[in-house]
Amino acid sequence: MAQVIVVTSGKGGVGKTTSSAAFATGLAQRGKKTVVIDFDVGLRNLDLIMGVERRVVFDIVNVIQGEAKLNQALIRDKRVDGLSILPASQTRDKDALTREGVQGIIEELSKEFDYILCDSPAGIEKGALLALYFADAAVVVTNPEVSSVRDSDRILGVLQSKSKRAEEGKEPVKQHLLLTRYDPARVERGEMLKLDDVLEILAIPLLGVIPESESVLKASNSGNPVILDSDSPAGQAYADAVARFLGEEKPHRFIEAEKKKGFFGRLFGGRAA
Amino acid sequence: MPESFRLRASNYSLLTLRLLTGRIEEVLPALGDQFQKAPGFLRFAPIAIGLDELGDDRVDFPALIQGLRALEILPIGVTGGTQMQRAAAAGAGLPTLRPAGQKETEVQAPAPVAAPPVAMNPPPAAPAPTPAPLAAAARTLVVEQNIRAGQRVHAQGADLVVIGTVNAGAEVIADGNVHIYGALRGRAVAGAGDDGEARIFAQIFDPELVAIAGFYAVRDGLSGTPIGRGAIVRLEGEQLRFSPIG
Repeated sequence: MAQVIVVTSGKGGVGKTTSSAAFATGLAQRGKKTVVIDFDVGLRNLDLIMGVERRVVFDIVNVIQGEAKLNQALIRDKRVDGLSILPASQTRDKDALTREGVQGIIEELSKEFDYILCDSPAGIEKGALLALYFADAAVVVTNPEVSSVRDSDRILGVLQSKSKRAEEGKEPVKQHLLLTRYDPARVERGEMLKLDDVLEILAIPLLGVIPESESVLKASNSGNPVILDSDSPAGQAYADAVARFLGEEKPHRFIEAEKKKGFFGRLFGGRAA
Repeated sequence: MPESFRLRASNYSLLTLRLLTGRIEEVLPALGDQFQKAPGFLRFAPIAIGLDELGDDRVDFPALIQGLRALEILPIGVTGGTQMQRAAAAGAGLPTLRPAGQKETEVQAPAPVAAPPVAMNPPPAAPAPTPAPLAAAARTLVVEQNIRAGQRVHAQGADLVVIGTVNAGAEVIADGNVHIYGALRGRAVAGAGDDGEARIFAQIFDPELVAIAGFYAVRDGLSGTPIGRGAIVRLEGEQLRFSPIG
């Protein structure tokens, strides 16, 4: 049986799709057969971040409505073996998704894949509820900022009450915190919430801290998941997070501000990218 | 002498359990079945027992009360029925309730009872202190988890104990006292059934709003209170008072 992971946040723009793309790619890099589903019907982005937008023929709504077979809609990644993308529809809205339809897709994907990642839309409406309904595990993407933390708290409550596991009284959805866009220097200046503050409020295990990094935007615009950029701190941080998800022990990095550069460093050193 | 109490007439929406038979050995299992399907539904809800459909059936009220309490339903009185039935109920500690809008003189005759609206939420708290139901003291709802933004816990007719944090955007309500062994960062309402004696206790006091019996304070009004420390909130007259714990 495949494990179903929802990547969710409540709030928009915190890095769900970036994290979904990086996480799925990372799992596949480690030999896990992985498919990532874009649940943001109407605002599809995942295909752009994954760099497959020119190969989209059918999408999840076509499959649910019986207009295409699942295999016709799945896009195989050309960079990493065992990685597939199921894109969202650009032209429909979230009402085109049904619980039965999603269930059918997840059951069929379970036969072929080890991990099914569901990239949730923002909000707590139908699309987000369907994305998390079948989850075994949740990666809650949060920025070090009060409104993001509040919305993550809300979505954790929704996971506790509205997931299939909750409704059937099974073992609860396993929750992981992924703190993204973390800038230790701004934390030190008191402009961002501290990691410890976020952990205290949300009270779930920390999967990883992804530092704010220019490489993320560059990666998104070029359609290469940032985890493929193993030189960038963000790429390394995602690789660590995937390793931790698979049970490895990795010390957390990118939490402390870098030491002030010396005179020569300031003179010659560029920015960390 | 300072005023020590006030009597006010208040109207409440109550759920009525209309008995269709006097054989409570049939009523209780059927109720239990229904409640198993919806755990938490009506938990600690006060309820009136409607006797109109019974005819002359006799009811074993002590056993009925015991059975309902085991299901976490709190019977507080009876309505309708024959004089005999009402006397039996009164003997078991269930007074006769008058449906609102009826004159006192009509109470003698078994009157048709209009089904009251179902109210799961407390009526908006108005500053009209009435004695708390006696059963409240004996009841406590214990929640052993964090309460997250958007979640709402209501201990009807009971005290509420939260072992964990009440996060910002969450709401805890009790008809009795509220105890929070953790941080209170959201809203806490005690004495929601207009019990001005109720208090709020929090180990780390950092709330968005606190209210007792309808008197409330928002965070902006809480300067000078023990923010970030252990605190007790109680009502003195129409003023909320805040004192540190320990």
